Amino acid sequence: MRSQQGILLGLSFVAGLLWVFVVQKWMFLNVFSGVLAGPGLPLNDYLQLANEPAFTMLWISCISALMIWLWITFRARPRNGAEVRRMKPLWWTAAVILVLLGWLYQLFFSIIIWQLQGQSPVQGSGMNFFLLPPGGWLLLTMMVMINVTLLFWLPTLLASPRTYRLVVPGAVKILGGR
Amino acid sequence: MSVFAIGVGGTGAKCLEALTHLHTCGLLEQGGTSVRLGTFLVEPDQQSTLLARAETAIDRYQKMRRLLGSKADHFARGELRHYGTWSPLSNSSGAISLDQVFPKAILRTRASGLAALFDCLFPPEEQAADLEVGFRGRPPIGSAVMSRVSLTAEAKTGQWQQMLSDIETASGGGETPVIHLFGSVFGGTGASGVPTLGQMLKSWLKEQGLNKVKVNASLLLPYFDFEGQAREDTGVHAEARNFQLNTDAALQYLRSSGTSCFDQVYLVGSDIKARYDFSIGGRSQANGAHLVELLASLGMRHGLKADSSSHYAHVLSRAVENKISWGDIPDSEVVGEGMARAARFGVAWLNNISLELDAAQSVPMPTFLSGAPWAHQFFQPSGQASGTQAGRPSIRSSEELSLKTAIDAYVETLLQWLQQFSSNTGTGFSQELFTPELLERNSNYENALGRVVRGSARPSRDEQDDTVEAIKVLMDALSHKKISHNGMAGLADTLWSLSYCDTGL
Repeated sequence: MRSQQGILLGLSFVAGLLWVFVVQKWMFLNVFSGVLAGPGLPLNDYLQLANEPAFTMLWISCISALMIWLWITFRARPRNGAEVRRMKPLWWTAAVILVLLGWLYQLFFSIIIWQLQGQSPVQGSGMNFFLLPPGGWLLLTMMVMINVTLLFWLPTLLASPRTYRLVVPGAVKILGGR
Repeated sequence: MSVFAIGVGGTGAKCLEALTHLHTCGLLEQGGTSVRLGTFLVEPDQQSTLLARAETAIDRYQKMRRLLGSKADHFARGELRHYGTWSPLSNSSGAISLDQVFPKAILRTRASGLAALFDCLFPPEEQAADLEVGFRGRPPIGSAVMSRVSLTAEAKTGQWQQMLSDIETASGGGETPVIHLFGSVFGGTGASGVPTLGQMLKSWLKEQGLNKVKVNASLLLPYFDFEGQAREDTGVHAEARNFQLNTDAALQYLRSSGTSCFDQVYLVGSDIKARYDFSIGGRSQANGAHLVELLASLGMRHGLKADSSSHYAHVLSRAVENKISWGDIPDSEVVGEGMARAARFGVAWLNNISLELDAAQSVPMPTFLSGAPWAHQFFQPSGQASGTQAGRPSIRSSEELSLKTAIDAYVETLLQWLQQFSSNTGTGFSQELFTPELLERNSNYENALGRVVRGSARPSRDEQDDTVEAIKVLMDALSHKKISHNGMAGLADTLWSLSYCDTGL
């Protein structure tokens, strides 16, 4: 890995941390509170018990996928461009799985875990799940995709090594010129 | 600086084949500047496979050079001009046997004594032998034919004219041109032709007042035997048992009259003989290239050095009896690096890069670039069939593809030669220079370069990191300033520079 790539990888890692654990949390509380909060949904409880664990799990998944991607591409000695391009479907598969996992984590921490435990996350509500408005679900769906973009696409774009430098979608357009 | 190489006979042609490849390796130089190499072949056997192979190497190099133009700073930078192939029989009005070259009927009527001497010197089967397959391993036949040649007359017309004129021009321009003859002393054409032509050239140069021109020769002593026998109806033919006799006679002649023919002589042979199938000549004579021919060609490199004329004879030997390694090659450090670079370039180009360029023709350029980032340094990323972008041509333009075809063709010849001489050493004799099986053309997208070159000339990089992919990564990471040229020429030039890189990544 070139030193510049190492620096960019480090920066994107730090940016990812800041995004997930500081900026995004602040945005949910201050920018999107109207979209997320609904009748009978205490926003702070929801963020602490469902939203944060779900996005932390997504962050761990993205970092794991990134490590696996870098490990594979560092170790590989492709003989030609066709062998390099064979990594493209693998990248897309990883990205799609990460998005699906992200949605699953949201469902799990907002609904499934409470159903399994037979508890109500909001005392006195009588509901075994967090009741998010449709706009809130839509927002979470979008945020999962943005998270995968920031936590997987960006670092793989900036730090894919050697001949894998341009295999990530969009890399030819962004990094391919002289 | 101009040098003129004259290959006489089949072995001489093989030496010129080797010399052409050495020129590609940048090993014919004086004071760090590549010389202008002129080549000339002397061979009565116009169907000879050995001649055809030398001509192919020369033609392919010339074509590649022409298409490269000034777009390469490192790769194939040496100029080469081929003056043609000349047959000593070409002046004999269609005669193809000795008794036609020296018409017996006329001899008998005009000089019966000479006719009797002719009969005495040449038995009937030698007089009638068809010489279109060469001088059949008989130096006396060749000497008789060669002695009829007049360089003064040839300098006015014919194929010698342009070369002799260029020698005059080079000498008049303040240079010290070198003429270097190559040929065997144990066969027919070379043994008779090299000393005769050397003496003729010396006389002609003296007549013209061109005293600065040096005439050197690499003379090859026996280094191969024949496997198998001639058929009974083959007629007069070269026989391995005569090789030593011919050599003794040639060496005796050189001892007494060598200085009248040559300024410097390089005698190269081998006590361990390669085995070639018997052939009378023509297309069936397909002896593979041999290390001895490389050593003979390196004689020319030695002759270009300023201090080379301090001794008349130069001696080579090897350290281990049954093995040759880089340490046994003269000037091994520079020669080793040059040849190692050429071999590694050849394998990387023909067995990988060229295949990549072929594959690029059938996929959109952005798709190709996503797997081959190095390509953006040389070709326009849009992949348009014509036009350029920031000076980079399209990977599909016909000019670029013509150059690629020319490089492919030449590199195939180069690898074939390297493969032949590194696998053709003789029984019980081994070499530690190259790995022959890795020098063959294949379509496997060869990646590993670590074992192509063996011994001390191998770059000191970890074998597992010594790959074509590593070179591609280096090419991709080069700054624009370090890439002087675009397109196929720039790619070949950059690959040539990076093919021998001692540093890791």
